[in-house]
Amino acid sequence: MARDETQTLAKLLAPQQGVLHRAAVLASVAALLWPAQAALVALALAGLLTGAPLFWQGVAGFALLGVLRAVLNYHAEGMTFAAGVNVIAQLRTTVVEGEASRSDGLSAGAIAALAAEKLDALLPYISRYAPARARVAVVPLMILALALWQSWAVAVIFLITGPLIPVFMALIGWAAQSASQRQMAEIGSLNDLLVERLAALLDIRLLGAGEAVTKGFAEAADRLRAQTMAVLQVAFMSSAVLELFAAIGVAMVAVYVGFSLLGVLSFGSYATPLTPAAGIFLLLLAPEFYQPMRDLSAAWHDRAAALAVAVEVADWQDAPVVPLLGQGARVARLAGPAVIEATGVRVRLGQRLLVLPDFQVAAGEKIAVVGPSGAGKTTLLRLLAGMQVAEAGQVSVAGRLLGDETADAWRARLGWMPQSPHFLKGSLRHNVSFGQGGDLDLALHGAGVQDVVASLPRGLLTRLGEGGAGLSGGEARRLTLARAMYARPDVLLADEPTADLDAATAHMVTAGLLALAATGCTLIIATHDEALAARMDRVIRLGATP
Amino acid sequence: MSALCQVFALILRDQRTALLRGAALSVVVLLAGVSLLGLSGWFITAAAAAGLAGAGATFDVFRPSALVRFLALGRTAARYGERVLTHDATLRAFASLRVRLLRSYASAPYDRLMALRGPQLLNRLTADIDALDGVPLRLILPLFAGIAAQLLTFAVLWALVGLTVAATLALGFIGGGALVLIWTGRSALVPSRRAELAAQAFRARFIDMVQARGDLAIYGQLVAQKHSVLAADTRRQADRIAQDRIERRAGLALSCLGTGLATAALAIGMSLAQRGQLSPALAATGFFAALALHETIAPLRRAVAEIGRMVLAARRVVAGLSAPVVQPQTSLTATTLRLDAVSFHRSGASRPSLRPLSLTLNPGETVVLAGPSGAGKSTALLLAAGLLTPSTGTIWLGRHSLTDCSETALRAQLTLVPQRTTLMGSSIRQALHPAAPDADDASLWAALTAVALDQTIRAKGGLDAQLGPKGSGLSGGEARRLALARALLRRPKFLLLDEPTEGIDTATARAVLQGIRRYLPEAAILTASHRPAELEWADIVLTLP
Repeated sequence: MARDETQTLAKLLAPQQGVLHRAAVLASVAALLWPAQAALVALALAGLLTGAPLFWQGVAGFALLGVLRAVLNYHAEGMTFAAGVNVIAQLRTTVVEGEASRSDGLSAGAIAALAAEKLDALLPYISRYAPARARVAVVPLMILALALWQSWAVAVIFLITGPLIPVFMALIGWAAQSASQRQMAEIGSLNDLLVERLAALLDIRLLGAGEAVTKGFAEAADRLRAQTMAVLQVAFMSSAVLELFAAIGVAMVAVYVGFSLLGVLSFGSYATPLTPAAGIFLLLLAPEFYQPMRDLSAAWHDRAAALAVAVEVADWQDAPVVPLLGQGARVARLAGPAVIEATGVRVRLGQRLLVLPDFQVAAGEKIAVVGPSGAGKTTLLRLLAGMQVAEAGQVSVAGRLLGDETADAWRARLGWMPQSPHFLKGSLRHNVSFGQGGDLDLALHGAGVQDVVASLPRGLLTRLGEGGAGLSGGEARRLTLARAMYARPDVLLADEPTADLDAATAHMVTAGLLALAATGCTLIIATHDEALAARMDRVIRLGATP
Repeated sequence: MSALCQVFALILRDQRTALLRGAALSVVVLLAGVSLLGLSGWFITAAAAAGLAGAGATFDVFRPSALVRFLALGRTAARYGERVLTHDATLRAFASLRVRLLRSYASAPYDRLMALRGPQLLNRLTADIDALDGVPLRLILPLFAGIAAQLLTFAVLWALVGLTVAATLALGFIGGGALVLIWTGRSALVPSRRAELAAQAFRARFIDMVQARGDLAIYGQLVAQKHSVLAADTRRQADRIAQDRIERRAGLALSCLGTGLATAALAIGMSLAQRGQLSPALAATGFFAALALHETIAPLRRAVAEIGRMVLAARRVVAGLSAPVVQPQTSLTATTLRLDAVSFHRSGASRPSLRPLSLTLNPGETVVLAGPSGAGKSTALLLAAGLLTPSTGTIWLGRHSLTDCSETALRAQLTLVPQRTTLMGSSIRQALHPAAPDADDASLWAALTAVALDQTIRAKGGLDAQLGPKGSGLSGGEARRLALARALLRRPKFLLLDEPTEGIDTATARAVLQGIRRYLPEAAILTASHRPAELEWADIVLTLP
């Protein structure tokens, strides 16, 4: 499993590998400028002690190299950031494309959390962890070699304290990763909880449950805080321990160098006693030996978070989905008379296998689909719209098999009235017309919503809540009829079009539907309403609940 | 900016002790770092000088090296403590800020509540608050600690190394740092704000796409919506790259500033030492302290670069927090609900939603409002439930005007089931839970029996039968009856029902209505209805014109 995650992550980074490699080289070169700066400063300070003429060239060299180091880092950071942004943009596109090619899947809250927030957890991994790992492979070894050149004792100190660090980090890595996974799971479940509660704010208030719900949310928010803190604590602890190792190492070097300079110790270096310049150089070098490893450990939880995200992406890819036939694009209408034929259709709904009767619908026919709740009325409508795929059997429309190639062109001929409307962010006008040309007044009039629109504070420019909040159930339902009529469909699929409506309005909607049928439009209506069913030409009766 | 201060004040009020301790520890961390490097530099140079002078035996090695070890360990411990304290305090403050925000939204006026969109609200409660963690952690605490460490170091260096070096470093770091950071903040303001807006647009559009997938596919809009989702992300990436470039320029400028000041400290120290005004060891101290002081300004670059995003989020969070309403404390013992010439006209609408209406509702009585769609039946119920405030007229609950009743007292007495309800939770039991958290199974079954849902629920597997999101898995009529059962569990004195039996066949509807009356024999019931079954059930039918 652990290898799979690492591989998944590596695969995500593969396209940017070249850029990341070049950035790592730049950053390593920048890190290796420091020994040169240290040498210049050491020579300048040592010259001060021996009374030699002031080494101004050294001071100037220190400044120049410092600026050069900053410039190299500037470019290296820019390259890794751009690479990270590219990787995330690519992945986000994959998720959006994936969600647009299925008609059912994970909850909106969870998937939005993955796409909008969690993917961003890859950026610190790419911009901090990966460069730190590259530096760890080069910089400590070079510094070790430089130390060995001046003093084998200092090199021994580095050799003893250095390898302890990766061992310790591996131990912490385990803890960090499981903590990260728990935190990611908690973020997802808090989002789901919020999406549900926020949609039901009015209900919560009317039930006097505001305080209880707030309390439940407070507990969930506190759980997330605890999980986040657990992740952070591991991270802080690991960097504290590394800082400790580094401090011990530096202190040992300082003590050795101090005693050697004083002449108390006379082993471990080639010039005895150690020259002041070499002593100061070694002291300046010591912290930089540990720095790449500390950077790596500071970024260790970035790796854990990135692996947790890689797991979530893999889970998303493996989740069972209901694919959408076609793409949902606006294309030219499918040619031919709007006849529909279904033979031997079986649809899998989770554990259940729904068997639908064979049927044909001629162009312009008016069909009522009736049957008890759960008999598959909605599924049948979704099937005819290419939003549900049959496991067996086939559906043909206008003489062609309904499949990926034909679905979009077929849907261009459809009108759709769903059971529970969802309105997009935007004006009422946009929600009815989707920016397409047509006769808006005629559609509003046909659906009997002209008065409703007139009574809204901003008329056609009113922004609706997502469930049509601000409208009554009947009004929202009639808007979906207006939307369907606006599209001038050849076939109208309507799911319970008269539920929630009073007798007068139901009559109005029925009249609208029949007027549409009079223009030659086929009606396929799932309904419980016997009065409405009686106005149709024919009834398709679905079986009882299994 | 004032919004940022308000947010920090909120955090500070919530977690004062922890934040003050954290701030003190951050100063300790920075000072320990400066002292450690300064002392080590002095120690090595002084030791070398002593060695050259042949005075190695008399040089006190132990006190400085013990101090070096103490500073190293102390800095490590202080840094760990500071991080844990400040992060925990910030996360705690944010958890309570989220709860406060949710509470404000939950008590928003009805019209505002209806206009709120789920995805936007989700952004407010999660992304906006997450964007604010930089305010204490990366901006205010490091700024405070950095300035404090600079000033203290200035004083110590003045005493040890002299005014020239001390003043060069303090002025250079504070003045130069301020210039770079202010420039960064200004130029990053727009891209960082735009990046955040684009991120939120991406999220809202993406949720719209997922939730309205079916409609969008049918009308051939799915591809267009997908492109608009991706366009928001493209905009965001461009702005983030612009923001990152500004931030890296700040990093470049601060690194050069640090190198320049360290070089200056070295040069000044060397020339003073050559003239014999300063020992070489103290000259080295100034240089090493300058290297360490870079830590006081370097961490601020990121916070400053994302200030636009923080200000945006802070403004929205502050705007979302309504002042806690002081509720009038009335204990309600009312038995009648009276509407006295109540009308309602939304501002800007061309016709009134409800023409003046008077009625009295007594215990045990069922009053049905009838009339055509648009006559104001639902509006009358919303007014009676205290969700809307009448344009004219008064609503009386016993002797109290409805506007004087506290929300808690009102909801304890009166329950409205609007036309559309939303079920929560993933089982029947959880769906009923918000209405009566303490109810036992027998009470839950009694309420389900009253709405003729007991058989259905038993067939589905009982109270723990699973429900999909928003009650999917139930038919429209079943969901309606479950919402009614949920309201009954409140045992209200006043029950207001908007089209209670919509989507339910006539025979069941009759059984449900009788069940409701049997369950609440004493309640005053007011409904908005058009079905014959409901009209027959009424004691009084009022037809609105």
